[in-house]
Amino acid sequence: MEILNPEMTRLLTAKGTRRRKLAALPFPDKVRAVLQLQRMVAPLWRARGKQVRVWKIDEPAMRNVTPHAP
Amino acid sequence: MEKTLQVLNDLVRTEVLSRYAIGGAMGATFYVEPVLTFDLDVFVVLPRTGGGLLTLEPLYEALRARGYREEDECMNIEGVPVQFLPVYNALLEEALAEAQETRYEATSTRVLRPEHLLAIALQTGREKDRERVRLLREQARLDQKYLNDVLARHKLDVRWNQWKS
Repeated sequence: MEILNPEMTRLLTAKGTRRRKLAALPFPDKVRAVLQLQRMVAPLWRARGKQVRVWKIDEPAMRNVTPHAP
Repeated sequence: MEKTLQVLNDLVRTEVLSRYAIGGAMGATFYVEPVLTFDLDVFVVLPRTGGGLLTLEPLYEALRARGYREEDECMNIEGVPVQFLPVYNALLEEALAEAQETRYEATSTRVLRPEHLLAIALQTGREKDRERVRLLREQARLDQKYLNDVLARHKLDVRWNQWKS
């Protein structure tokens, strides 16, 4: 079995911590994160011919946490 | 999204809907990290029509009367494409009956329990449902006994064991 080097182990641990932190956000903050994901992903999907609609809602800025793509 | 939920609550208040709860990716997002989705899946119990038929048409009519419009298979309510899914089997009936009351900012709403979201994903069985099951297993606080009971009651324990391994 391949053994990860310490730097990769540290990065993967940090990634897991971040995902748990995102999972623990209040629901309205998660909705704001989904909106950011939609804005990030929509142009890529549209370029591939898939029609998607980013939600047109006013949500206040999210507090200090930004999403990462799944 | 709060305005969207207020409209849904108003539909319950005016008895257009008997009950609703958020499911799908946004329901899962309540319990796990934010998951990309472009619509809001809302499971609904509809009042029965005179002929006993279950149809979304009275719901759509009520929304059209409030100025909302259909977009493909969704109804756009205050900027959010909402897909209404009438409950069609025993698992969904149970999931909706036992959905959790919660608040979104100042507005009350209902979200399916994580154990039911997991069971529904198992039952639906698509590739993206596997990912949802994985996320719920990893990140949601599942009541294991409650989950086992749901899975046994709806004969999903075999698939659960397959997907877990």
